[in-house]
Amino acid sequence: MGQPTLIAGETRHTVAELEELAFELRSKLLHLCGTYEGAVHIGGDLSVADILTVLYQYGMNVDPTNIANPARDRFVLSKGHAAVCMYIAMAMRGFFSYEGIVETYGQLDSAYGMHPCKVQLPGVECSTGSLGHGLPIAVGMALSARGRGDTHRVFCVLGDGETGEGSVWEAAMAARSNELGNIVAFVDRNRQLMTSFAEERVAFEPYPDKWAAFGWNVVMVDGHDMGQLVAAVDALPASDSKRPTVIICETIKGKGVDFMEKNLAWHAGRLGAADLEKAMTALNSTRKKETV
Amino acid sequence: MAETFTFGEMLSARSVIGTTLAELGETHDNLWVLTPDIGATLVEFRDKYPERFVDVGLAEQVCVGIASGLAYDGNIPVVSGMLPFLSMRALEQIRSDICYPNLPVKIIGTHGGLVGNGGSTHYAVEDLALMCALTNMTVTSIGDPLMVGEVLRQSMAMPGPLYIRLAVGKSDKVLYEPGQHDIRIGKGIVARQGTDATIFTHGTVVAQALEAAEELAVEGFNVRVIDMFTLKPIDADLVAQCAEETGGRFVIVEDHLAYGGLASRVADVVADRGLHLTAFERLGIPQVFAGFGEDEQLRDKYGYGLEATKAATRRVIAATA
Repeated sequence: MGQPTLIAGETRHTVAELEELAFELRSKLLHLCGTYEGAVHIGGDLSVADILTVLYQYGMNVDPTNIANPARDRFVLSKGHAAVCMYIAMAMRGFFSYEGIVETYGQLDSAYGMHPCKVQLPGVECSTGSLGHGLPIAVGMALSARGRGDTHRVFCVLGDGETGEGSVWEAAMAARSNELGNIVAFVDRNRQLMTSFAEERVAFEPYPDKWAAFGWNVVMVDGHDMGQLVAAVDALPASDSKRPTVIICETIKGKGVDFMEKNLAWHAGRLGAADLEKAMTALNSTRKKETV
Repeated sequence: MAETFTFGEMLSARSVIGTTLAELGETHDNLWVLTPDIGATLVEFRDKYPERFVDVGLAEQVCVGIASGLAYDGNIPVVSGMLPFLSMRALEQIRSDICYPNLPVKIIGTHGGLVGNGGSTHYAVEDLALMCALTNMTVTSIGDPLMVGEVLRQSMAMPGPLYIRLAVGKSDKVLYEPGQHDIRIGKGIVARQGTDATIFTHGTVVAQALEAAEELAVEGFNVRVIDMFTLKPIDADLVAQCAEETGGRFVIVEDHLAYGGLASRVADVVADRGLHLTAFERLGIPQVFAGFGEDEQLRDKYGYGLEATKAATRRVIAATA
């Protein structure tokens, strides 16, 4: 019932294929982080990589050949600092060329920069960057779909840290008040803010209860377990249902690179050639453990 | 119909908004109306198009965010509320979610200036400065109630965001006969012709400026009044024309901080164009948090009421080049 329809002519990836795609996404992220002269938000990119893979390669009905296709699912990256992860995930889905991203990222007049801009990069649904802004916009998009009688969904990816912004909870209340079952929020619960670990400074817990108290359908998954992510997408309620869904994804900031994992120093940074090799070795070792 | 009102009569701008939006809802099936719990004047639209009406309750940030999402998806959202809260609580949403992607969202609201006797939490006195600073934003301040409807109608074809500022909007003087002026966003209105000096103003203060000009006429002065209802983009050509035709004698009167509003916009034109003025006086709200009182009392107290306007105009006319 809840399984999304795909744009015609496509086949659905298996969990193993999705895992390979997520590995490729992480490799490309590290490559960019190792070659770009400036800082990349690599920690939060790596924590959200599996989520964006399952969304772009499995969960969302998107159409790279017609970015204005009215039947497409809408996507809002509320944690806009993970833009580069989204650019690459979109490139891997056929929206852009990966080479174009690597060659121009962060440079003067490039469409690819630290936070996504719809005006400069058509195909991106929404300009974001200031935290706490994405979910309200997603509510507007979902209302618009309802107003037209459209059945597509609106997906929104948030970081757990940004749910400290009050506007997120205004949106949570508005989504429920307007019975928007066509909204699906993914929270990248990597339990780290920029300067501290989440619970040290902010009492997010009991976190699922907060969303449940706002009337949302709450699903808990391991955000690095592709099987669980796929199952959560498959089990989504119909888009014409009345309760918005949040999929709280337990993740690890810096996931896949041992020296970045749960390391506050790697919220954002640049790798350089030597560290890139170290990082790739670390990433490769996780692949062997998990897939062989 | 509102159009039957004529000069000098009192009319509620809010009722014009309600009627106009209900009309526009018919011709524009992508028009949405949103409000953070300030919905009394929107009842007509709400009842006609409940599926395109959203009252989020007390939550300005999500209200503007939702408008952004609706506009991203091809709709024309109108956010209606109280300006002290919309312009400040939701300022970043207006900037980053509306202006940055240049979406056709209209922000319309009341309580611009020292009006409504709500105290300083409820006076929007810096809103025009804030809105004029935003890239892509068109900024208007309207006194004539019928004009509100006209500007809303015109705004349907605008590709980007628009800010419409009203005072209380419950009882406003009709300033112009329908059809008397060519009302166009971006063009100032010559509300009264004159050659001795120009009073630039906007919003409900236009009525006061016209009154001042009439009283000064009895004294033998011929004063021009410009209703500069669009503050951004400012009608720079008209400012230059007035400098030339009224002896470079300017008075700016507004129900807004004296620095940051229309006076500053006009001063920018003067500086940028190198206009030669004989005298320039600005009357507006000083850097204070005003207390309670009726609109007129507050204008008098802070030096931008009727008498102060007349006195300033006499001074600029008397000034020697």
